[in-house]
Amino acid sequence: MDTLIVGISSGAAYALMAVGVVLIFKCTRALSIAQGEIGAFGFFVGLRWAARGIPGLRWHIPVFATLLVAVVIGVAIALLLERLVMRPLVRRPPLDGLIATLGIALFLALAELRLFGTATQLAPSPVGSWKIVLFGATLGAPRVIALLIAAAVAGGLYAFFKRSKFGLAVLATASDPTVARVLGVPVNQVYRFAWVVGGALSGVAAALLAPAFGGLTPFGQTTFALRALSGAVIGGLDSVWGAIAGSLFVGVLEAEVGAQISVNAKSVAVFAAVLLTLLVRPRGLFGEVAAA
Amino acid sequence: MKSRLPEFTPQAYASAAGVLVVLLAPVLPGVHGVQLSIFVGVIATAIAALSLDVLVGRTGQLSLAHAAFLGIGAFATVNIGGRGAPWPIALLGGAAVTAAVATIAGLPSLRIRGLQIAIVTLALQDATEKFVFKNQTLTAATQSLDRPSLIRTDASLYFFAVVLLGIVLLVRRRVAVTRAGRALLAVRDVEARAPSFGVEPGPTKLLAYTLSGAMVGLAGALLAFKNAPGTLTSTDPFVLLQSLLLVAIVIVGGAGSGPGIVAAAFFIAGVPQLFTSVSFFGLHVKLGVYAPLVSAGLLVVSIVLQPAGIGGVVREQLERLRRRGTEPPSPRPQLVDLGEASHAAADLRQVPRGLALRMPVRALLEAEHVTVQYGGVTALSDVTLEVRRGEIVGLIGANGAGKSTFFNAASGFAPTTGSIRYRGVELLANAPSKRTSYGLARTFQDMGLVRAETVKENVLLAQTWLARYPAAAGLLALGATIGSERELRRRADVALELFGLDHLSGERLGDLPYGTMRIVEIASAVAAGPDLLLLDEATAGLGPEEAHALGDRFLALRAELGLTLVVIEHHVPLIARVCDYCYCLESGALIAEGTPAFVTAQPRVVESFLGRAAAASGGAKK
Repeated sequence: MDTLIVGISSGAAYALMAVGVVLIFKCTRALSIAQGEIGAFGFFVGLRWAARGIPGLRWHIPVFATLLVAVVIGVAIALLLERLVMRPLVRRPPLDGLIATLGIALFLALAELRLFGTATQLAPSPVGSWKIVLFGATLGAPRVIALLIAAAVAGGLYAFFKRSKFGLAVLATASDPTVARVLGVPVNQVYRFAWVVGGALSGVAAALLAPAFGGLTPFGQTTFALRALSGAVIGGLDSVWGAIAGSLFVGVLEAEVGAQISVNAKSVAVFAAVLLTLLVRPRGLFGEVAAA
Repeated sequence: MKSRLPEFTPQAYASAAGVLVVLLAPVLPGVHGVQLSIFVGVIATAIAALSLDVLVGRTGQLSLAHAAFLGIGAFATVNIGGRGAPWPIALLGGAAVTAAVATIAGLPSLRIRGLQIAIVTLALQDATEKFVFKNQTLTAATQSLDRPSLIRTDASLYFFAVVLLGIVLLVRRRVAVTRAGRALLAVRDVEARAPSFGVEPGPTKLLAYTLSGAMVGLAGALLAFKNAPGTLTSTDPFVLLQSLLLVAIVIVGGAGSGPGIVAAAFFIAGVPQLFTSVSFFGLHVKLGVYAPLVSAGLLVVSIVLQPAGIGGVVREQLERLRRRGTEPPSPRPQLVDLGEASHAAADLRQVPRGLALRMPVRALLEAEHVTVQYGGVTALSDVTLEVRRGEIVGLIGANGAGKSTFFNAASGFAPTTGSIRYRGVELLANAPSKRTSYGLARTFQDMGLVRAETVKENVLLAQTWLARYPAAAGLLALGATIGSERELRRRADVALELFGLDHLSGERLGDLPYGTMRIVEIASAVAAGPDLLLLDEATAGLGPEEAHALGDRFLALRAELGLTLVVIEHHVPLIARVCDYCYCLESGALIAEGTPAFVTAQPRVVESFLGRAAAASGGAKK
C-alpha cells in the first residue's frame, strides 16, 4: 500500500510533464522530448541564484523562489523555442519536430553540464521540508505538492476545455489546424499557449522531482521526461486524461518493480509496458487517433 | 551500348578524393598511434550513424537507442570472443545479437505508424543502460577479449575499421539499388499504396530494423576489438547523450547521404578529440569542451533551415556542376511513334503467371453486388458490372459517385462485400499484393508514387512483385539478384520509352509537372506487366492536346500490348472516342450502362452531370 502511494506521487509529477507533452502534441503534432530539460535548466539557474546569489546583485533568492525561477525561465525557453524553432516546422513531417526537440534537449543538457558541472546539484525543496503520512506511506512535501498540482491541472484543463472559448479553439486546432485557421481560430496563439503551458509545467516538475529524487543532474530530468513520455504513449498521445492515467500507471509500476525486484529492473519494466501497450493497443489506452 | 567505366563526373571526383583521404590518413604528416586510435573510434561512430540513417533517411523512423545498440554489440562481442570463439565469430555474433534486439524494438512499427516508436527506443536505451551496462556478469568485467594478431597494430586496426566502413557503405548502396531500398521508400512515403506494387509494409520495416541493428552491432564489435586486450571499462560511448549525438550526425550530415554522414561524424566526433584546444588570433578555444554544444546547436539549425544537411547541399552543388552548360530536359513527355514503341513494348506482358491466369476468357473482371461501407456511409451499393477482355471500359459519374471506390474495392483498398472475380478467381479473398501478381495494376487519383525519388526508381518500385530475389538476398547480391535487376531495369526503360519519358528517367519525380507525374504513374503500372489496367483520372492535369495524345496511347496499349483498360474519366469526348462500353455511377449506384453514345444521352446521366435544368432542355432536343 505504501509503495502504491509513493508510486502515485511520482506518477503525479510525471503527469505534469506528460500533460505538456500531450498539449504540445495535440496542437502542433510535435512530440517534445525536451519537456524534462526545459524546466531543468530554469531550476538549475534558480538553485544557483539561491546558493551563490544573482550575479552582480549579491542577493540570494529565497529557496521557495527557485520554483518560480524554474517556471519563468521554462516559459521563456518555451516561448523562444516555439517562435524560432517549432513554428517553422509545423508544416513539415512530424519526425522533424521530434528531432528538433531532441536537439533542444541535447543543447540544454550540455549547456547545464558546461555551466553547472557534472556533479549532482543539491536541490532543497522549494515547498518546504515537511512530511505527511498517508496510508502508511511517508510523503515528503514535493511529492504532496506534485499530487495537489497534478489534480489542480487536471481540474483546470477540464474546465478550460469545457467552458472557455479558447479551450474550444485549442480543441479545434488539435483536430484540424487548416480548418481551424480558416474558421478564424488564432492558430499561432494556440501553438504558443501549448508551449507556454508545457514550459511552465516542465519548470514545476523539475522543481518538485529533483528534490524528491536526491538532486539535479544534467540529463537527469530527461530520464524523468522519458517516464512522462512513456506514460503519455501508454495512455494515448492525443488524450490529456490518458497521459495523466498513463503517468500514474508508470509511477506505480516503477515503485512496485523497484520495491519487489530491483532498482535497475524499473527501466526494463517501463520499456516492456510501452512495447506491450503499442503491440496490443497501438493508439494507447485512451487514444483515438493514430499519430501520423 | 553504354560504357561500363564510371563516368568522370564531379560526383566521381569527389568520392575518389574522399576515398583517397581515408586510405592515406595513416601516413599523413603528424598522424601517430593515438590519432589512429581516435580515427577508429570515429569510424565506429560513423558506422553507427550510417546504420541509424537506414531508419531515419530510408524508413522515416527514429531510433533513440542506437548508442545502446552500439554497447550491446560491443558487449556481445566481448562475451562471445572472451569465451574463446574465433574473432570472426565474435564479430558476426555481436552483429547478430544487436540485429535481434533492434528487430524487437521495431515490432510496434507493424501495428502503428508514428512517433510513438521513437519513445519505445528511448525506453529501450534507458533499460539497456540500467539493466545491461550495470550488470557485472553481462559486461564481462572478468573476461578479456584478445585482439587478433591480424589487427594488433594501430595501423592494421585502422584499415580493418576502414574495411568495415567500406562494407557498410556497400551494403547501403545495395539497399539503394535493390528491391529492399525501393520498398522502404514506398513504405516511408506512400505506405497505404505500397501493397499495390507487391511491397509488404510489415516485413519491409522489420528488415530495416534488423539491417540497422546488424550494422550498428558491427560498429560495437569494432569498439570491442579496439579496446582489446582488456575490457570495456567505460560505458560512456553507449549512453543516451551519444544516441542523441548520433541523431545530430545523421541530420547535420544529411539523411540519406553516406559521405555526408561520414564527414559529419568526423567533424562532430573526431575533431574535438584531435584538437582538444585551438588558438587563433591569441584566442584559446577549448574545442573538446564546447564541440558537443555546437553540435547540438547545429542539429537544431540544420533541421530548421537545411533539413537536407551537408550531404544534400554538396550533392545539389555537384549536380549543378555536372549539368553546367547542358539544357535542362523538357519536363513534358516526348512524342513517340506509337506503333513502333508499342511493338517494342509488347514483351512487357511476358511475366511469370500461372496457367489459370493466362487462359483466354471472355470476361476479365466480373463484379457482382459489390458494396463498400465506411462506418455508416455507403460509398458503393450493389454494383454489378463486367469488363470483357480487350475492351476499354469507361467509368463515369459526378464527384463522389463511387468510381474510385470501385477501383479501391477491386485492388483491395476498401472494405468490400459481394464478389469481384478476375478470370474466375475471387479477388476479395486475396491480399492487394496478390492481386497485382494476378495481372491487375492501377493508378491513384492523387498519385501513389514516391516524389522524392527519380522517375526510373519509381518504375522499378512498381515492378517489385516481379523481382525474383528475396529482399535480404539482394543486399548481398545473392541468387538471381543481378540478372533480375538487369531485367527490371530493361523493362523500366522500355516502359519509359513507350510513354516518351526516357529523357526524364533520372529526374526527381516531384520536380516534374503534375500531368507528367501522372503519365509516369501509368508507365509504372504498365511496367508491372498487367493484363488489366485501372486508370483513375489519367487526364487530370493535362492540356487538351496532351489528353488527346493520351487517348491514342490507350488505344495503342490495347492494340499492341493487348491490355484491357478501365478508365475513370470526366473528359466526355475522350470517353466517346476510346471506350467500347461505359458505366455511369451516381451516389454509389449504377444508373446506366451501354455504349458511350447511349450512356451519355441518358437523361439521368445528363442530369447527374449537369443538373436537372440542363437535362430537361437536353432531353427535349433528343
